[in-house]
Amino acid sequence: MPTTTASAVCTTVGNNILLRLTSGERDVKLKALRELKNQIIGNRTKKLSFLKLGAVPAVAGILSDAVSAVDVADNDENDRIVKDIIVQSAAVLGSFACGFEAGVRAVLDAGADILIQRGCLVEEMPLLKSYMEVVDAGARSLKMIYQSKMAPKYDFLQEENMEFLLSLLNNESENVSGLGASIISHSCKTSLEQKLLFDAGVLKRLTSLLGGSLIQRDASLESIATIFKNNPEVVSQFVGPDTGRTLSCIIEIVKDRFARTRLLASLCLIVIRNASPCYLQDVGIKTKLINNLLELLDDPGRVGDEASFAFSSLIAEKEDMQKLAFEVNGVDKLYNHLQKGSLHPRRFEGILLALADMCSKLECCRSRCLSLQVLKLVVDALAHDSSDVRSAACMCLRSVSRSIKFIQNLSAGSFMNETIVIPLVRLLDDTSTAVQVAALGAISNIVVDFTTRRSTFIRLGGVKLLVQLSKSMDSTIRLNALRALRNLIFLAEDKCKEEIFMELTASLLASLICDPEPSVQEQALALVRNLVDGRINSVEYIFAEDGIILDAVGRQLRIASKAEIEIQGMYVLGNVATGKESHKEAVMDQLLLRAENKAQSCIIKFLQSNDSRLRTAAVWAVLNLTCSSSPGSSGRLVKLHDAGIVSHVKNMVNDPCLDVKLRVKTALEQFNSFDDSLASTSCLQFLTVRAVGELSHVVDPSSKEEESIANYFRFSMKKNKKKKSTRTVKFCFDVPADSL
Amino acid sequence: MPVRVAESSAPSQVSGAHSEESSPPICSLLTVGQAFSGTQNVSNLQKEEAWRVNVRIQGCDLEHGYLCGTMEALNVPMADTPVVTFWEGEIVDAKNYTFYTGKWEATPEDDIRHWTKFPSFAPLLSRVEADGGKSLDLSNYPYIFMRWKEQYFVNVGTDCGLTIAGFYYVCFSCSDGSINGFYYDPNSRYFFACNSFLTYYCPFQKLELKCANEGRSGFSFSSYELQ
Repeated sequence: MPTTTASAVCTTVGNNILLRLTSGERDVKLKALRELKNQIIGNRTKKLSFLKLGAVPAVAGILSDAVSAVDVADNDENDRIVKDIIVQSAAVLGSFACGFEAGVRAVLDAGADILIQRGCLVEEMPLLKSYMEVVDAGARSLKMIYQSKMAPKYDFLQEENMEFLLSLLNNESENVSGLGASIISHSCKTSLEQKLLFDAGVLKRLTSLLGGSLIQRDASLESIATIFKNNPEVVSQFVGPDTGRTLSCIIEIVKDRFARTRLLASLCLIVIRNASPCYLQDVGIKTKLINNLLELLDDPGRVGDEASFAFSSLIAEKEDMQKLAFEVNGVDKLYNHLQKGSLHPRRFEGILLALADMCSKLECCRSRCLSLQVLKLVVDALAHDSSDVRSAACMCLRSVSRSIKFIQNLSAGSFMNETIVIPLVRLLDDTSTAVQVAALGAISNIVVDFTTRRSTFIRLGGVKLLVQLSKSMDSTIRLNALRALRNLIFLAEDKCKEEIFMELTASLLASLICDPEPSVQEQALALVRNLVDGRINSVEYIFAEDGIILDAVGRQLRIASKAEIEIQGMYVLGNVATGKESHKEAVMDQLLLRAENKAQSCIIKFLQSNDSRLRTAAVWAVLNLTCSSSPGSSGRLVKLHDAGIVSHVKNMVNDPCLDVKLRVKTALEQFNSFDDSLASTSCLQFLTVRAVGELSHVVDPSSKEEESIANYFRFSMKKNKKKKSTRTVKFCFDVPADSL
Repeated sequence: MPVRVAESSAPSQVSGAHSEESSPPICSLLTVGQAFSGTQNVSNLQKEEAWRVNVRIQGCDLEHGYLCGTMEALNVPMADTPVVTFWEGEIVDAKNYTFYTGKWEATPEDDIRHWTKFPSFAPLLSRVEADGGKSLDLSNYPYIFMRWKEQYFVNVGTDCGLTIAGFYYVCFSCSDGSINGFYYDPNSRYFFACNSFLTYYCPFQKLELKCANEGRSGFSFSSYELQ
């Protein structure tokens, strides 16, 4: 026998309730409202089906009519029914909005939030306000709306809004003061708003609410955290006689019997600590916080899901906290939760990110992960349905592999190359950009490899994908793809380099060097730097396709203003300058080419840079160009001298950076080792030669300007010690013909 | 570098170090990718040997005084192929590490005895004897002192007859990238009687390397970045 389905029954019941909501009789309407409330409370499916039947606008209409119908002259009985209708309709609307985004949207679309505020809470309705039920119902409903991200932003800058907020906070009802706190937690975003709230004195009231009911305590903790978040100025102004008491109060609440309260208290302390690290430095407090959050992971509900995120915010970027967490077996505890399996995606994501933070700086954490076989679970997560989980797994792998020692251990250990590379390569094609970027981060570490993982990656088509991504419209993807390629090419074997270059092509590389994004330019140059390193024939890559890559490098060096780009560019030229004569000459051509409106070579600017790394790179290029073993070096020295570069190098003899100073010293020794050296004003050395019975010759360095010297001398001096106390000096002069 | 002794001991782990290129290098010749080549002279009571050695820096983290790399020994008599080991280094920077080893069975006396073999250590001796060199500012000193400890064999098994139980005291010259080192392994001591006293002799194992430019005329530099 065919029977009616559950949804059909539901629709029938729903239609019946809705029909009765339109009744002209208030009793019928009230009863229908109560039934509706009971149907939808805690039931998402029912909320959705009533939503589709148009329940929200209908109830909003009822609320509006009821508020208008409140008549102080009316009799008590009617008054009571109208007020009950207001209470029930507010409750229904609040219930629709509770944890149900579609419901929030419908309530806001119907303007019900404003209706509730005006109808239940504002001063214009003194009679309504005398009914605490009405006030409470309104406050509870609005609080549920304000728990959603979709709730309208509360404008704290409006004076009347601030006054209203303060009136809510000062209200004795826990629902009303809780609403005030919720508004702060939801809407206070900017440092200006934080300051306004702080100056309005809300903290005093919020602090007193810490001693109130559970609802007040939780709401207050959230609000206090919101006001302090990332605002050291407000936190520092918090210093006063009450501070110690407030902090102690919150520290006590960390031990509360309710898990959610413990979490909120921990979050509040973390926010204060992160905004102003001078607070809460005691090791005992830090350990208490860590232990508390690790225990909260045991909570099966939302508190447990969120505890790992709170843990991350406590330890992120802080080596001391990570060390403490390691000492209380943080890695093991997180691993134990991972092992449970069938985790809610939010929880899974949180634990993976917590592990990523644990392993971000400390080798001991990475080693522990390796020994516990955490990686197997993390690699499994790379194939999870949730993109957030996949992304978190990549971040965990990236963090764990941020260490050459770890990468080496991975090679030496039993963890197979393909196990980790295959799923990562697959993610390069992920539908989510965030996952692609995260996968690129992990890959770029793992390919820094001195064994076989690199070849596995190439064999699996990784290079093709990376090159494809380096052409992405999204600059973050381009950047991260290039980072991975740069690391992949580092000390790569010839065959590997060839495969990569064939895929990349000279024209793509040249265009990436001139990319609109400076960070992309930097990585492209770093890639070329690695490409031309290694065996000497690698230098030829930069000359492919008529030297477009070299031209791009030179062009970028002439116009760049960011030190990181200039450093990479100079190292490219410096590396090419270690090649054959033709390579060195090509570098010279680039260096001596002047930029528009510039009187001197860009390398002079680099030699004078405040950044010692750039000065070092520039001196290395000069060193390589004037290498004693190369036949053309003396000619290049002359050109460098004529361009004013040599004198700049000489001026760096007392550079404050030791590395630069030592390179300059080597450069000067190299300059002086040439047989032909220039007698320019800056080169002239005061030279006194005394030989028994032979000509003494003194060269006067007092004339500063080369132009003032009529004749241009080239002399070579050969020191030849025949006897202890004599030196034989030969002079030969090349005097320009027109001076004779 | 592996040395031939009867016993073997497990390599120790260096803790708390990771690889990042966040601050400028102390010396551009001591950076990742740089190669060095030279010899290790193994001299003991029985014979003398010289192995050709190539070293490459793979990781460098100045903030934690850490570096690592590989060492390849060629023409090792007992091995068919070159023997490659992975080593980790501690940079003596008076912040992360001092001149006193404090582990690997090296006493302060052993430390001083080895450091003083380097002429560049002489000006530092008195301060090191006083407080291990903690008060020294080595940031502008043109030599870098390190300890290198091999951790495992990369391409051969542990049953190859060689061990990596000891470590090197290393001195690196910032000006030309040359490296000198002395190997220390307490297990390699030979005890013998001399003038009625029992004393010991350590085999003399010296490492001498120069910066290799691998066929190029000048020095070439590459880099990577761990995220």
